[in-house]
Amino acid sequence: MTTVTLQQGGEVLGRFIRGDSTAFADIVQEHQSMVFSIAYHFLHDRGRAEEVAQDVFLRLYRHLDSIKSRNHLVFWLRKVTCRRSIDEVRKLLMTPPTSLEDVAVLAAEPTDLDPLLSRGLRRMVASLSEDARAVIILRYQEELDLADIAEILDIPVNTVKSRLQRSLEILREKFHRRAGDVQR
Amino acid sequence: MNSFEDKLRNALRREAAPEGFAEKVLARTRGLSQPGAKAWGQFGAFLAMPVLRWAAAAVAVCLLVVAGLVYHQRQERLRREGEMARAQVMQALRIASVKLNVARKKVQEINRETPPSRL
Repeated sequence: MTTVTLQQGGEVLGRFIRGDSTAFADIVQEHQSMVFSIAYHFLHDRGRAEEVAQDVFLRLYRHLDSIKSRNHLVFWLRKVTCRRSIDEVRKLLMTPPTSLEDVAVLAAEPTDLDPLLSRGLRRMVASLSEDARAVIILRYQEELDLADIAEILDIPVNTVKSRLQRSLEILREKFHRRAGDVQR
Repeated sequence: MNSFEDKLRNALRREAAPEGFAEKVLARTRGLSQPGAKAWGQFGAFLAMPVLRWAAAAVAVCLLVVAGLVYHQRQERLRREGEMARAQVMQALRIASVKLNVARKKVQEINRETPPSRL
């Protein structure tokens, strides 16, 4: 399967509409990392994140006729992934966790400057409320501006702004507290 | 990397999906019934063809022209009917005027023939 470049996105959509069955494979290939990462940063569990991401792409398969352009496709995927992840978090809150998420996280740790620091930060993000988590993930994983986040989450820009500020305060506080504990 | 936000950005950067992810998704789509979406999508693509867009614009222009002509003809017919009615009224007034003149002359003649003492 070939990797699809960003410019080819619109053309791939056209191919799917014309009935080309390989086009959907190209769409999945192109966007799987984005969808999986949003779900993973929400859930902090690779198994569940994969389940959510697969579900998102199955929904896309059923609704691809309503997608107008490549930008619309990306917007739709981010929106549905956030909603599906929020639902999953709420479902998890009602059932006690039984997964071996820590083992999975360690096994799949990406290479970065300070793996422990990143892992800690991801855990902190995962401890935020699901609404705050959505804002932080869209802002720092997807690098979206406040207006785009507001559109995806269907909330006013000012709400995004306040959630972002509040979440950053909480994360900073937890981060510095943790750093202090490590030094002691 | 200095700022806290950069650390956050680094921690939350995109990760590769698990090995075989796309294949699993595609296997699940094969289990799904044929999406009705495709037929609609093809219909949508058919409608989105440039030739059809031009044809639709041409049809819209033709409809506008026909509607304009119909409107103009209707206005013309109304104007003609109004003028006819006006002419008929004028004719009626002329006839009435002639008749009134005749009647007035008759009355004057009668008055002239009858001596004032008999009145």
